[in-house]
Amino acid sequence: MKKFNFHVKPIGLLDMLNFKKLVPNRTQALAEGSPERATASYEVNKLATYLHPKSQQAEITEIIEHGEIAKTFILSGKELAPFRAGQYLSVKLEIGKSILTRPFSISSSPKWVKEGKYALTIKRAPNGFASDWILENWKVGTKVSVSGPEGVFYYEPLRDSKNVVCIAGGSGITPFLSMAYAIRDGIEDFNMTILYGSCTENEILYKKELDQITENCDKVKVIHVLSKEQSSCYEFGFITSEIIEKYAEGEYSVFMCGPSVMYDFVGKELEKLSLKSKFIRREMLAAPSSPKKFKEYKGKIDKEFKLTVKRFGEVLIVPMKAEETVLIALERAGIAVPSKCRGGECGFCRSRLESGEIFTPDELDARRIADIKEGYIHPCCTYPLSDLVIEVWPEQGEQYEEKH
Amino acid sequence: MENIYDVVVIGAGNGGLSAAATAAKNGLKTLLVEQHNLPGGFATSFRRGRFEFEPSLHELCDLGPEENPGDIRKLLERLDVKIEWVPVPEAYRVITTNEGEDNLDVTMPFGVDAFVDKMEEYVPGSRPSMEKFMTLCQNIMDALAYIGKSAGKADSKVLMKEHPNFLKCGGYSVNQVLKAIKMPKKAQRILSAYWCYFGVDGEMLNFAIYGAMVYKYLTRGAYIPKNRSHELSAAMDRRIRELGGDIWYNTRAEKIIMENQKVTGVITDHGVIKCSHVIACCSPNAVFGEMMEKDDVPEKQTRMVNARKFGGRGFVVYLGLNKSAEEIGLTDYSYFIYESLDTVKEVARAKDFNSHPIQATVCLNAANPECSPEGTCIMSFTTFYSEDVWGNIGADEYVEKKREVALNMIRDFEKNVGVSLIPYIEEIEIATPVTMARYTLNPQGTMYAYECSGWDTMLARLMMLEDDQIVSGIRFAGGYGPRIYGYSSTYLNGEMTAKLTIADRRENAK
Ligand SMILES: Cc1cc2nc3c(=O)[nH]c(=O)nc-3n(C[C@H](O)[C@H](O)[C@H](O)COP(=O)(O)OP(=O)(O)OC[C@H]3O[C@@H](n4cnc5c(N)ncnc54)[C@H](O)[C@@H]3O)c2cc1C
Ligand code: FES
Repeated sequence: MKKFNFHVKPIGLLDMLNFKKLVPNRTQALAEGSPERATASYEVNKLATYLHPKSQQAEITEIIEHGEIAKTFILSGKELAPFRAGQYLSVKLEIGKSILTRPFSISSSPKWVKEGKYALTIKRAPNGFASDWILENWKVGTKVSVSGPEGVFYYEPLRDSKNVVCIAGGSGITPFLSMAYAIRDGIEDFNMTILYGSCTENEILYKKELDQITENCDKVKVIHVLSKEQSSCYEFGFITSEIIEKYAEGEYSVFMCGPSVMYDFVGKELEKLSLKSKFIRREMLAAPSSPKKFKEYKGKIDKEFKLTVKRFGEVLIVPMKAEETVLIALERAGIAVPSKCRGGECGFCRSRLESGEIFTPDELDARRIADIKEGYIHPCCTYPLSDLVIEVWPEQGEQYEEKH
Repeated sequence: MENIYDVVVIGAGNGGLSAAATAAKNGLKTLLVEQHNLPGGFATSFRRGRFEFEPSLHELCDLGPEENPGDIRKLLERLDVKIEWVPVPEAYRVITTNEGEDNLDVTMPFGVDAFVDKMEEYVPGSRPSMEKFMTLCQNIMDALAYIGKSAGKADSKVLMKEHPNFLKCGGYSVNQVLKAIKMPKKAQRILSAYWCYFGVDGEMLNFAIYGAMVYKYLTRGAYIPKNRSHELSAAMDRRIRELGGDIWYNTRAEKIIMENQKVTGVITDHGVIKCSHVIACCSPNAVFGEMMEKDDVPEKQTRMVNARKFGGRGFVVYLGLNKSAEEIGLTDYSYFIYESLDTVKEVARAKDFNSHPIQATVCLNAANPECSPEGTCIMSFTTFYSEDVWGNIGADEYVEKKREVALNMIRDFEKNVGVSLIPYIEEIEIATPVTMARYTLNPQGTMYAYECSGWDTMLARLMMLEDDQIVSGIRFAGGYGPRIYGYSSTYLNGEMTAKLTIADRRENAK
């Protein structure tokens, strides 16, 4: 590049006076500020904290039973954060020696927040640990601590088609129930066709509520699909591409929420419809309790390892099973660490791997590219292949002393 | 357990990261505390579906190629931080939407010669004034290097003798100087296109600072990290630990303990840390208004905090599109779309809840084709508000409002660049000042710390480095520091602050 040797003559009107004034001008201006105590908390900051509280305290004020299989808990609290229909809360639990979290979609209308209420519908999971415990132990009057509303499983008009086919399995109906209420209440505006898979008519959650919504609101349609019971009122079998095509109208988006077997099955059916990936959204799933499910897994499932945990200058050593995630090992040991989605997506559990071999399934690996390079892990979807040394940073204000 | 450190750095923004690395490298026992679970502050990344988005960086000024390293490459070499860089292809494309003589669509290249030539093509007769401009910039660079080295003690005799042109223009605004060197109006305006990186109009923006930045961009080009800014922040994080420093994430500094007007520790939500020095990469508002006891803050200090005005508050729309940049027809990397090239009018428009705001838009793939899966691309549309407009929005209208602005920005881009985007949106995220307040805790969600205009320019701040130091033991890295905001400035602030802290310690030891 050629250098300019152009000589600037004293330039026009400008002189040095202004330069000399820089310091006195600034000194004077600084002295003229108000003597009132300064603040860093403005309306925008307050709105940020209101919309995204680190945690919220609520009390169970009502319980609705759905036969043997599920219960809806009404959580009441002050200044609960508003949410977008489809979002979830991460519930903090202490069960025996363990400190853990579980994510649950909010099943109530976003409108309810104004009255200080969220509803969580919790279904007994096969071999469930936390869900069983909650169904047994949460009573009217129980105090619970939950996160702010989390997750990105919601309708977004700038992105999604105006017609949305929502495929639900079992307790996967909860985010869709909230969306249906939101449409009914004029908070969201899209055409919703729910294809809801249950085993039998008895196991359909919220049958009555869904019927009421569809009666009053023609933007919401519900089709029940039963896999173990035949009836003229319902579709029979699994949710196939034929069923989807039968009820879908025009261009549409597909939203899915349900167990992993449903994702596997419906995922294959959707391939037949050759939808663009932008039109398929699924609520994430918690990482499975064993890594065996993943084809890439090469570890020995029955091994036990040593987990060394560095935490704010302390070092703790706890046992860990090859079969379980690092997050579960931490929780079993009563070491509270941050977690929300438990499926690799939110990054809230991000921790530093100092040494050791790990397995993170590709389909759950949503880490940042540089984090993978620099050895950061999301313990909620990381299975150990050897002894590990990690560093964790429990959340702000989180009580992180051992329970024992 | 007792935690004792020489220095506690509050906040792992760019300033905090480079301060902590510099302190640790110089043998200080260093603890960096960060309330979020990631390093970088604004310099981070986030994932949605198949995409990893860059939240803030458009172009890093002053890295420079290996053979012509700028201050930032040198700084990173000193700290031994290595990452992969991608050059940005052209300086900028600027489009104005007003009809009439103001209407234009020009693409400006990097390189002083190429830039001057291109300007001559667009504005015949602009060459002599453009050459003057470039020479002035060179003079300014030399003078700023001298002032930077002198750490607040620049000798006016040296300045007068060695840097007369700098003294002549250093106290004036961009508009005043460009007019004085008789640059044609249209060229002045094209040249001022980067103004939105400061969020300050040409009447208020200090010429020396603007000239230095333009010149650095033109002579050294601009770069971005291959894997978003998080790559740089994560590499800094590793270096700090390698150099013996500790980093505590999810840890918020709540109070600074003072005894006899000296810092003795920091109270965090994870315990008390004893230390004699604090480097704050957060706002002086938080430090003097919240972390320190009222009685420990001298009135003069409080007045200084309250006298200052917050800089621009950002608003960004991020799109992951399911078509490639070529298929869509996005040929350029950086687009400035303004109503007119009159910076005063444009800044005035940013005061209100304007539904068609100015935009600085980037198609990441135009510089970094591998940043997203094949057949897709990433865009971000940025605007700023010069007043606390989002402070008046209630929680009820928040989602609607942000969608409204986002949609207008996307549509304005579609119309003015002649492309279609909306049908291809696979992922969308919208960040407002509220989002930025959430993640970085900056007051009003400002991305540009304190505005650097009028009386509070970088030049004046640098010359008053020591006058500004009222409470001993606390110094500011980051955007609130003397070298102002922006990536390169904050990295340099961090290093400088750490060095000054080391000097303070020597002074105290005496
Ligand atoms: C949309 C956008 C686009 C931009 N584009 C560019 C660009 O192209 N080029 C450029 O150079 N600049 C750009 N910038 C500006 C640049 O990002 C910022 O000026 C710069 O990153 C500020 O760095 P900082 O060091 O001041 O810290 P910040 O990024 O403000 O970080 C401060 C950190 O401190 C933490 N913290 C705060 N309080 C506490 C506490 N009490 N305890 C513990 N931790 C605390 C916060 O969590 C945060 O991590 C852009 C900014 C935005 C928002
Ligand atoms: S808890 Fe969400 S990524 Fe681990």
